[in-house]
Amino acid sequence: MISITNNHLSLQEIMHELEDNSAGAISIFIGNVRNQGRSGNVSEIYYEAYIKMAEEKMNEIENEAQTKWAIKKLVAIHRIGNISVGETSIMIGVSSEHRKDAFEACKYVIDNVKTRVPIWKKEISDENQKWVDGILLG
Amino acid sequence: MNSDIPNNDKIKVRLFAILRERVGESEITITVPTGTTVSLLHDEILKKYPLLKSFNNKFVISVNCKVTTGNIIITSRDEIALLPPVSGG
Repeated sequence: MISITNNHLSLQEIMHELEDNSAGAISIFIGNVRNQGRSGNVSEIYYEAYIKMAEEKMNEIENEAQTKWAIKKLVAIHRIGNISVGETSIMIGVSSEHRKDAFEACKYVIDNVKTRVPIWKKEISDENQKWVDGILLG
Repeated sequence: MNSDIPNNDKIKVRLFAILRERVGESEITITVPTGTTVSLLHDEILKKYPLLKSFNNKFVISVNCKVTTGNIIITSRDEIALLPPVSGG
């Protein structure tokens, strides 16, 4: 299940989505906004998405992970809008029978979301605002 | 209709992030001859919005959510967007 939302992300909801009695392992990645960015101090980050394309890309990445590893359930949720320091911008969760599949698939999904999905962030501080220069889609 | 006069298409182009902010619009309309390609559209965009020249090679064009270059023919029914380098996560 993939999603892009303006709402706060809930670990409890992710865990609920991942519930599966045949899964012995759950791996979760949580990405938080930190107080230092490429442009210096950061108080919040504004995230913007081309939602339709971002959802298509995230579905594509989920399907690839399902093909590469023996996954029971996979959840990837990216929050957009203004997100303060300490809050969560992304959560990835994968459940599988054994830990290797969950660990590796979780890493694959976050690595690929960061490089292939049309989402942008602007670092905001009291002094300035700067779009982060990222990776050109190919 | 005079066949010597080419038909034109009005292509809507969505802008995101830094490109949206610099242009001040989330969507622009570019008039191009019918049967135009992505690369011709790219040239017309830079002609109409010269400030985007400083971003040349710092954005790609997507057609119907697929990054596309070169000789793909586009119409006003296609969903076109300019995408600066991504930085999600």
